[in-house]
Parts: sequence; structure tokens; C-alpha cells
Amino acid sequence: MKLRLENIGHAFLGRTVIEGMNLAFAAGEIVALVGPSGCGKTTLMQIAAGLVVPLRGRVHRAYRRHAIVFQEPRLLPWLTARDNIAYGLACAGTPRRHRREIAAARAREVGLEADDLGKFPAELSGGMRQRAAVARALAVAPDVVFLDEPFSAVDVGLRRMMQDHLAQAAAREGFCALFVTHDLGEAARIADRLVVLSARRRGIVDLRAVPGRPGARDERFVFDLVAAWSREEAFAELLDGAGRLQ
Amino acid sequence: MPASMRSEARAAAWLGRYLWSAWAGATGLLCLAAAWQAAHELYGDFVLPDPLTTLMTLADLATEPGLGAAVKETGLRALTGFLLAAGIGTAAGTIAGYSFAALRLMKPVVTFILGVPPISWIVLALIWFGASGGSAVATVIVAALPISFAGALEGVATRDRGLDAMARAFGAGPLRRFRDVTLPHLLSYLFAAWTTAIGTAWKVAVMAELLGNSGGIGGALAKARALFDIPQVMALTVLVVLCALGSDHLVLQPLREAAERWRTAGQPWGVKR
Ligand SMILES: Nc1ncnc2c1ncn2[C@@H]1O[C@H](COP(=O)(O)OP(=O)(O)O)[C@@H](O)[C@H]1O
Ligand SMILES: [Mg+2]
Repeated sequence: MKLRLENIGHAFLGRTVIEGMNLAFAAGEIVALVGPSGCGKTTLMQIAAGLVVPLRGRVHRAYRRHAIVFQEPRLLPWLTARDNIAYGLACAGTPRRHRREIAAARAREVGLEADDLGKFPAELSGGMRQRAAVARALAVAPDVVFLDEPFSAVDVGLRRMMQDHLAQAAAREGFCALFVTHDLGEAARIADRLVVLSARRRGIVDLRAVPGRPGARDERFVFDLVAAWSREEAFAELLDGAGRLQ
Repeated sequence: MPASMRSEARAAAWLGRYLWSAWAGATGLLCLAAAWQAAHELYGDFVLPDPLTTLMTLADLATEPGLGAAVKETGLRALTGFLLAAGIGTAAGTIAGYSFAALRLMKPVVTFILGVPPISWIVLALIWFGASGGSAVATVIVAALPISFAGALEGVATRDRGLDAMARAFGAGPLRRFRDVTLPHLLSYLFAAWTTAIGTAWKVAVMAELLGNSGGIGGALAKARALFDIPQVMALTVLVVLCALGSDHLVLQPLREAAERWRTAGQPWGVKR
């Protein structure tokens, strides 16, 4: 197991958000964490990534490097796209020449052009910024990648492309990914495993494997899967307010 | 080489912007000169000499050896005071921005210093340091320090915590995070504060010199006042303004432009400043 959460509990200002959570992530698997807004998905991811220290429980990490893709791009406005993509490498002490090469290669993978690399974030479109954020995460050759609703603000076409890219990269490079989303279609498309959180019951209400291979499922299959899930009790809370499918 | 062409284009754009802002500034100044001329024609020579006479008086003064020395003397005092105030104020403000305890400790002190009228500081400094350059420098420090402090504090306090978390997630230590995340953001606050502080430094230095009769432009101003030489008073006033504007526009602003190229990068042409 690359990453194991043991009996995690957390509260903000005395209000419990997460309680007695146990989760384990194996190498190479993509785990989608779904749940209604405010149920603690971001908090759980930040605990797993070490950005928030949990009040209770332990996080066991058996890997060298991780990377995060946030909901917003979080690029440094004063660095060019190239230097932003290479930022994680710079933190890891990779020599300048080498990290520029890696940044260029990672940028190409997510569909950024060579002359976008010299631009500042303000000169890039929203979609291009999020591509750069994904490239920055994958550039450090992570063992674990945390993604917090990374594609919720990008258009449908780009979202599809980034989902496929992520699934392929995970299969090729063998990193494990914790993918937070509130979109069941997205989870059905790219996850190996699904973890459903509840806000009311403050914990995991369902845990299941998704049939098929991430990134290789066709549209019809994904659609039927989501339709089937949306009739189940486990997803009721998630789809309340968001509107059940049909 | 697209990369080098890009940097040349940036340099040309920078020069264009610099000249354009100088031109726009000159327009405003000429409007002011027109109003000045009108007031002169209304109230006469004795109350308000006209701009041209003032400039000619200034040109006359410039040929005298005493003026250069006076400007140098005042400039040195203003600059020494500014550098010390900017250094101490920026460092203290940065620490206060990071540490809540330091903020609680330092904020009342700075608020108190801000509340004391500069004239009291001048009198106190004259008592403590005598009618020397020291009193001018000391007054400049107390006048300019709170400005730098407040700028640095505000800059650090408003840093983007999300970017900080991002850098932490990629394993950046505290020093690297300060350099990469906080400092570039802080700089825009610092340059704004330093611009105010350098102007204050010149004005307060002249004031302290005048009251302490300790040479420099302030000393020359005291002499002109004693002789009721109004054109010379005006000329010296214009000189101080020019010095203050010069140290801002010729030293601070180009540094700011260089440090903040990323800020202008995303703006379309024509709405720059
Ligand atoms: N820094 C914080 N301080 C106080 N409350 C917080 C903080 N961060 C999150 N919360 C609260 O914790 C709950 C879970 O938040 P979050 O993990 O962001 O949910 P999700 O990502 O699932 O929408 C929410 O009710 C939110 O208001
Ligand atoms: Mg969230």
C-alpha cells in the first residue's frame, strides 16, 4: 500500500467534518472520492497530502514524492508557464537545464504549444492554466497524485482530453491517484475504485470497484453505469440538489 | 530566435511606456504651471512670482557653487534616513505580517509613532542631536519608518495562502516560499510604500534643516526667508519637488518596472497607465 489513512478524524472550530475514516491506496490505482459539497472531500485530500494535520488518526506514506492539482490552477503569476511547470522540480533541486527539458515534454503532453511556455499565467486562457497545473504535478514523476476537482472549471472537450491523459499517464507511469470529484460521470470514466462520502453520516457510505479499465471505457458504458448508480441509495445524497439523472 | 525577439519587444514596450508616462506627467505639470501663472497675474509678484521667474532664479542658483553642495547635503540626509527607515521598517513589518504576537507587540508602537506630529520629532531630535545632520536623519527615520512598516505588514498579510499551500505541497521550505510566493507579491506593496517614504524623506529633511538651521536646502530656504527673497523661496521649493520626484521616477520606478514585468504582461495595449 502506497498510502494508508488510519482512523482519521478532523473538526473545524469544534464542528466534526470527518470521523473514523480508514482508506488505503495501492500503486497504480485511481481512486475517485465522490460526495456532496461540504462533506469533507477537500479536507480529507489535504490530510492525505499532509497540508492539514488531522486531529485524530494517522497517515502512513510509503512513497517518495507526491503532487497536487488544486481546483484552481494556483500558478505563480510572476513565473512563466515553463517555470511554473518546472516549479516542483525546482523545489526538488533538479538542475535548471534538466527541468526545462522535462517541463517542455510535460507541456507537450497536455497540449501546450512551445511558445506558450514563455508566457505568464495572465496571458494564458483558463484551460491552458489548468493544463499547466496538471503538467506541473506530473513533471515531478510523482508516486501519488492528489487532484481536487481539477477539471470542474474547464470546458467539456478539454475535460475529456485531460481525463484520458491522466488515466493513460497513471497506467504508463504507475502512480496512484486520489481524484476528488462531485461528477459521477467523471468518476465512472477514469476511476478504478469509487469511494462515496456522506455529509450527514460523516463518513464512507459506499466503496466499490468500477468495472473496466480507466480511460478505456466507452461513452455508452459510462452513461449506463451512471444511470444505474443514480438509482442506488448510496448516491442519493450526492444527487440530491444536483438533480437526479432523468 | 523567437525568445530574444520577445525580450526585445518587451524592452521596446517598456521604453514606450516609460516615455508615454513621462509625457502624460508633463501634461499635468504644464496645467499646474498655467494655474500658477494665472494666480500670479491675480496676486502680483510679491505674493507669488511667476513660473518663468522662478525657473530663471533656479537657473541662477544652479550656477552658484553653494547650491550643489546643499542639494548633496540634503540628499545624503534624506537618503540615509530613507534607507535606514526602509530597511528597519520593511524587516519589522515583514516579521509582524508573519507573526501574530509580533504584530500585537509592534502595531501599537507604530500607531503611536504615526500619531506624533513630525514637528515634535524635529524639536526632540534637535535637543538630542543638536543642530547637525543627525537630527535631520533621525527625523526622516521616524517619519518614513511607519510607512515602510505598514506597507510590508499589509503585503505579507495579504499573501495568497493558496499559492503558499501549493508551494508547501511541492516540498518548498519556508525560505523558498518567502522568496517565490510572498516576496513578489510583497514587492508591489513595498514599492508603493517606498515611493511615499522617499517623498516624505526629502520634505522632512528640508523641514528639519530649516528649523535647526543646519545647512542643506533647508538652510538655504531659511536664508531666503530672512531676506524675504520670494522668487528664491519658490525656486528652492521647486527644487525640493524635483528632487523628490526624481528619486522616485529615476530610481524607484525603473526598479519597480523591472521587478513587475509579469504584472503588465497580461494587460492589453493602451490601458497601461
Ligand atoms: N479552514 C476551514 N475552517 C473552518 N471550516 C472549514 C475549513 N475548511 C473547510 N471547512 C468546513 O468543513 C466542511 C468540509 O469542507 P470541504 O472539505 O471543503 O468540503 P468539500 O470539499 O467536500 O466540498 C465544510 O462544512 C466547510 O465549511
Ligand atoms: Mg472541495
